[in-house]
Amino acid sequence: MFSMWNWVAFGFYLVLNICSPDASGGLVQSCGHIIPESPVLALGSNFTALCILNESCLDFGNIYANQIIWKIKNKLVPKEQYREINKTVSSVTFNDTSSLATPLTCNILADGQIEQNIYGITVTVGLAPEKPKNLSCIVHQVSRFTYVMTCTWDPGRHTFLDTQFRLRYSWPEEIFPDCIPKDVNNSCTITDIQFFVNTEIWVEATNALGKAESDPVVVDPIDIVKPLSPQNVSVSSGLLPTVLKLSWENWISDAVMTLKFNIRYRIVGDTNWMEVPSEDTASPRTSFSVQGLRPYTEYVFSIRCMKEDGMGYWSDWSEEKIGITTEDQPSKGPPLWRIIDKSHSPASWTVHLIWKALKPFEANGVILQYEVTVRDKSSLSSPVKNYNVTSTNHTLQLPEGTYEVTLIARNSIGASPPSVLLIPASNSKAPVKNLRTIPKHDKLWVGWTAPNNYVLKYVIEWCLVSSNSDCIIEWQIALGDVQGIDLKGIKPFKCYLITVYPLYADGQGSGQSVKAYLKQDRPSKGPTVQTKKVGKAEAVLTWNHLTVEEQNGFIRNYTILYKTIDGNETVVTVDPSKTEYTLSSLTSDTLYTVRMMASTDNGSRTGPDFTFTTQKFGKGEIEDIVVPVCLAFLLIVLLGVLFCFNKRDLIKKHIWPIVPDPSKSNIAQWSPQVPAKHNLNSKDQMYSEGSFTDVSVVEIEADDKKSFSEQDLKPFDLLKKEKSTSEGHSSGIGGSSCMSSPRQSVSDSDEGETTQNTSSTVQYSTVVLNGYRDQTPVQVFSRSESTQPLLDSEERPEDHAGGADSTAQRQQYFRQNGGQDEFNTDRPCFERTKQNTHGNEGDLVGFVQLQISGQSSQPLGLGMEKNTQEAALSNVLQTCTEGQTVRPETVEENPLSVDEMPKSYLPQTVRQGGYMPQ
Amino acid sequence: MATADSSSTALRRRDLCSRGIRLAGKMRTDVVNLLDAYVEQQGLDASASVAAVEGVPLAAVERWDEQTGTQRLLENLAAYRAFRALLAQMLEEQREQLGEADAGLGRALAAVLLQVSAFAYHLEELLRLESRGIPVEEGDGLPPPPRLSLFEQKLRGLGVLRELSQWATRSVRDLRQLAKPSPATDLAESP
Repeated sequence: MFSMWNWVAFGFYLVLNICSPDASGGLVQSCGHIIPESPVLALGSNFTALCILNESCLDFGNIYANQIIWKIKNKLVPKEQYREINKTVSSVTFNDTSSLATPLTCNILADGQIEQNIYGITVTVGLAPEKPKNLSCIVHQVSRFTYVMTCTWDPGRHTFLDTQFRLRYSWPEEIFPDCIPKDVNNSCTITDIQFFVNTEIWVEATNALGKAESDPVVVDPIDIVKPLSPQNVSVSSGLLPTVLKLSWENWISDAVMTLKFNIRYRIVGDTNWMEVPSEDTASPRTSFSVQGLRPYTEYVFSIRCMKEDGMGYWSDWSEEKIGITTEDQPSKGPPLWRIIDKSHSPASWTVHLIWKALKPFEANGVILQYEVTVRDKSSLSSPVKNYNVTSTNHTLQLPEGTYEVTLIARNSIGASPPSVLLIPASNSKAPVKNLRTIPKHDKLWVGWTAPNNYVLKYVIEWCLVSSNSDCIIEWQIALGDVQGIDLKGIKPFKCYLITVYPLYADGQGSGQSVKAYLKQDRPSKGPTVQTKKVGKAEAVLTWNHLTVEEQNGFIRNYTILYKTIDGNETVVTVDPSKTEYTLSSLTSDTLYTVRMMASTDNGSRTGPDFTFTTQKFGKGEIEDIVVPVCLAFLLIVLLGVLFCFNKRDLIKKHIWPIVPDPSKSNIAQWSPQVPAKHNLNSKDQMYSEGSFTDVSVVEIEADDKKSFSEQDLKPFDLLKKEKSTSEGHSSGIGGSSCMSSPRQSVSDSDEGETTQNTSSTVQYSTVVLNGYRDQTPVQVFSRSESTQPLLDSEERPEDHAGGADSTAQRQQYFRQNGGQDEFNTDRPCFERTKQNTHGNEGDLVGFVQLQISGQSSQPLGLGMEKNTQEAALSNVLQTCTEGQTVRPETVEENPLSVDEMPKSYLPQTVRQGGYMPQ
Repeated sequence: MATADSSSTALRRRDLCSRGIRLAGKMRTDVVNLLDAYVEQQGLDASASVAAVEGVPLAAVERWDEQTGTQRLLENLAAYRAFRALLAQMLEEQREQLGEADAGLGRALAAVLLQVSAFAYHLEELLRLESRGIPVEEGDGLPPPPRLSLFEQKLRGLGVLRELSQWATRSVRDLRQLAKPSPATDLAESP
């Protein structure tokens, strides 16, 4: 308890001791202090600090040096760096000051618990200044009498401390004020510089860690002067057209410094400067005449100066001044050439004389006019023609011949030497040889081998080849002793046609041409390929040449690349002159993809893909197959025909059995006078008298699969013999049963209004009354308007009246083919009626009409009747081919029973108690 | 070795002469310009007659071409030492009179003073090269100059500058004479 109070009191004492004002007016003495006080340390050096405790603190609180702890910016310094020198002094040592920071504090750890600060110092770490290096000075002239000297140096490494630099200079017996740089540490400007005395100049760098001086520079400031450039420069033209006089003023008097000069000049618009030889301007002066200039040319001049002996620096170049030389007569005649147009008439030429305007240095002034003289060399008597032209071309109409054209350019001073061009009647002289081109950067060099004869000069024509415009000719003249020139203004990737003509003293050689590119590129597009013809194993490809604009170079070859969908690509190289190629060895009936690539020296470009499919059969293969087959077929047919022809009687017997003509039968002699009692009003309405005059229906059943030839006649015999047995199956309307042969019936008319000649008309009718399986039989009947008299049994009216009620009658059906009823009694089989081929067309018409009328909607009563007839008739039209029974669709699709009510129109359906057409 | 030393001495001498000539020439130009500025600034007449300045040997001398090199150097040194003192006094008087009102004139005077000092240094160096003792400067031993009125000060200043310009012209000639070949002969003749 006591201890705790003791420590509290101690802490309070410490605070008071540190913070309380002293009686003397300052702070009370602290419990200790650090030596050294706020040191400036060299970076990387070692450092030791001592913390010394006051004796007063020892007395009160038993504070000793072993309780001292050191801190750098609140970070504890390792105790390994402490050393207790005595009971009041503790030291701390840092081997490298770079680990130091501010503040460094000395603290007491009282009883190992309470930490109390005793003292703190600020530590500054930095570097001593390095020796300034590379000191150099220059004296700038700022006005006529004012010079300032600026010295620069390398201050060396950064010191991290406040470092002062001073530029110092002195004479042997005089020391001048230091020049202290402002805001910078590497340069200073001295304003009161004096010439002609060697001055020692050096730089001194100073900071808390030391001082360093540069090596001194001893120099007379006059030797490092950069003077002001000459002023008031003027240019004046002299008497000569090649001289301009340049005048100026110097800023420095000769008493101070004598000067030498540099004069430079260039033609206006040119970027290259020329200089007057330095030895010509190495002495003091204020003017100079520049010679060797071009007449009538604008020049820009500029001048600079420096100390005559070469010490010091050149001044800046003066402002530029422009002067122009006076005119002189043209130095040469204009280059002359011609283009001869013989298209109108070979005997009459249109000669376009063209010449180039003289270059400024050739014209030496303003060309006022050109004088053209044309002399006919082939006719000495012809007068010389003169033309004054202001443009650079002139067109003449001349007869074919040899002419000498002379051209002179004239300016205000005089005329040029004449340019002469000989226009021969024909270019029969030797041409140049080995014409070739070589690209050289942005120029195209054209070279040739000279002919054996002496050539005065060469004319080189060139033009840009275009597919959509004419070749605009440019030209140039080369002297006769050269064998190559550079063409300028040539565009890359463009095709040029270059022609060289040699000009002789007595004529002109024929032109030699070559196409050339300054620079080639790959084509801008590839050729578009397509097929011209596709076969089984080959395909003919065609394409168009690329236009000259698209080529971008010489097309060296075309490459055809083709492949199947899953196959490897095949490559074929084609000569660039071709536009067609045949691919062979292709697989038949295969899809191929083909594309084409055009190549120049600098690359290739591929065109679009094109697909085609080879044919399955080659040319003539189909013919090879089809023709023999057809021939074989024809042969078979022919043989068949011949066979049939030979066997025609037999065939006829099978196909067209001999049908007995009832009219020729004995019964035909009988003339029935009994009118038909059938109610056939509707039929009568439908078939007028004229339409059905003679209808014969013969139905032949071939179920027995036997030849008809023999059996055809049997039913008729049976009919006669077994007439009575068949009566039970006959219908009421003159129909005959299936067992019966076509039976004779007499068509009747209740009203007796028919005008039919019953004696000559035999009506056949077929009535089928049979159910399909267990269904209600469909009552079908058909009738024939044969005038053949009905059998007696058919005339009975009870048969008609009771037909509707009799089940037996309902199951009856009318058949022509007898002998088959045993098999067909339970099914509504109605074999196809074989019409007699002799039946007239009116019969068919009648059938058709009947069928059509049955499709029309009519009132129920009449409709029922008509539909019944229609069903019967449609059944008649059903066929049973080769003895097979074909069931009528109407019956099959509408299998009716007694209990079933048809949901659709079924005219054949007859219900008990319903109306039964008679 | 002796040849090398003499050669080096000759080069040094030539260099000093050359530099001195140009310094004298520039000094003359600057003094002439300063004279114009001084006359204008002090309100004096450029054609005013001024008595010879006391303590300054006259530039004009008879039989100038008969003088030896050392003689020339000593006379020049004496003159420029006198000018240095006079110009320093003028500069002080100028500052007292005008303060910083006409700093340009003061700067020009200071510049000329520097040139005079520099030229005196050149002369001393030349005398050293010729193995001649340099006379002790007697300025400190001289009695203080009499107190002059302001106008007299201006006139004296005008006289100093005029005499300095004449001495500058003469110094150029003297040094050219010294720079001529075979100076040893001249020096040998000197007392």
